[in-house]
Amino acid sequence: MKSDTPLPIQIKATRDRFILAPDAKASFAEIIRYLEKRLQESKDFFYHSEMCLDLSNRPLATDQIQQLQKMLAERAGVKLIEIKIGEDLVYSLDRGHERPRAAAVVSQKQDCAPMIVRSTCRSGTLVESPADCVVLGDVNPGAEVVAVKDIIIFGSLRGVAHAGATGDRLARIWALNMEPSQLRIADLVALPPRGGKPIPKRFEVAEIRDNMIQVITL
Amino acid sequence: MAGKTIVVTSGKGGVGKTTTVANIGTMLAKKKYNVCMIDADIGLRNLDVVMGLENRIVYNLIDVIEGNCRKAQAMIRDRKLTNLCMIPAAQTREKNAINPEQMKNLCQELAEEFDFVFIDCPAGIEQGFKNAVAGAQTAIVVTTPEVSAIRDADRVIGLLEAGLLRDIHLIINRLNQRMVKKGDMMSTADILSLLAVPLLGVVPESEEVVISTNRGVPLVHQKGSKAGRAFSNIASRLNGEDVPIEEDKSDGFFAKVKRFMQS
Repeated sequence: MKSDTPLPIQIKATRDRFILAPDAKASFAEIIRYLEKRLQESKDFFYHSEMCLDLSNRPLATDQIQQLQKMLAERAGVKLIEIKIGEDLVYSLDRGHERPRAAAVVSQKQDCAPMIVRSTCRSGTLVESPADCVVLGDVNPGAEVVAVKDIIIFGSLRGVAHAGATGDRLARIWALNMEPSQLRIADLVALPPRGGKPIPKRFEVAEIRDNMIQVITL
Repeated sequence: MAGKTIVVTSGKGGVGKTTTVANIGTMLAKKKYNVCMIDADIGLRNLDVVMGLENRIVYNLIDVIEGNCRKAQAMIRDRKLTNLCMIPAAQTREKNAINPEQMKNLCQELAEEFDFVFIDCPAGIEQGFKNAVAGAQTAIVVTTPEVSAIRDADRVIGLLEAGLLRDIHLIINRLNQRMVKKGDMMSTADILSLLAVPLLGVVPESEEVVISTNRGVPLVHQKGSKAGRAFSNIASRLNGEDVPIEEDKSDGFFAKVKRFMQS
């Protein structure tokens, strides 16, 4: 998504939430319009997520923040939980919500047990895992597996797999047989080459190398 | 003993659900079983056309469910076989005129009377599909060797499994052996590896099917038709008989001559 003009507002994913960072030069109308478009496109992805507004580059007026907050809530049920005004000045909007320190969040997530799916994922199935995801069966075309960490498929991957969905670029996708319709790791998307490919004897792994998703046989 | 209730479904339209119901139903009736076929495609009925019974419709499925007539009044007997009958769908109503619970009750009542109850499911996965599937113990998924049809079949199998219907069989319709050999069409093995459900039979592509549909006479009445034989084998397998899946025999002129000499 690189172009000469920067995006009016950037949506960055961290381990447990999204950060909205408006561009310094963008007008408020532009920001709202672009954000609405993105929410429309990926409504399910953002649905009921928690977001932070980072205003260190571009300040917004109070009524503008309220308008943004209302729009987020109405469009995709997104909760605006924090507003970051400067490097060390963070405004928490959600009083009852106690935020553990970042390190604590990480360790808690690591303890999260992998989700195990004991059947073939057929077309129309969506599996979302808060940690690793293990599928004991195939993932057929039209099915989607999304995991915060690694995805391991003991079968053929023919559908879509999204590892590291919250931005973990070290996440990997393992499959006994790799014929995906699309691979996603963190914010990268890869399409398989068109035409047939040689059938490897062993399982394959997809991971990010040199800023690209690559499928390798170990 | 209560009979079997079988829904024939596919997801995608035009793959041959109605033709399958008509042929398997007729074949089982020829085997002296009592068979009832229900057209659950409300608003777009055509099982009656394929069976050639269109002009005999007085009451329909919705009349039965709403209690406007007795069950026996809506059942139309086949022209040739007295132990075969069908309940047509209503053409002037919509799919949400009935609900899955009513359909379930009807299927249960019919299963008491008949050996086999076939339900012709509408295309799609909306209300009509849910109604049709509600009363069935067994499902037959029909697909053609096209990517789109297989994708929809896969989705439908997923929905059936989610609805706790575990007895699912597959029919591959309109397979063209010549194209499979050239690598232009997915083979039976390809389809099975993707869908992973037991295969009930493969029906070859044939012009006879269109002709028989237009005439309103199911293909299994016609002797010497390849597709008709495939359907009658499917009916036998459904009945628990052990019939091997047909091998491809169209392997050229010389092989045919050779087989002719041998026989």
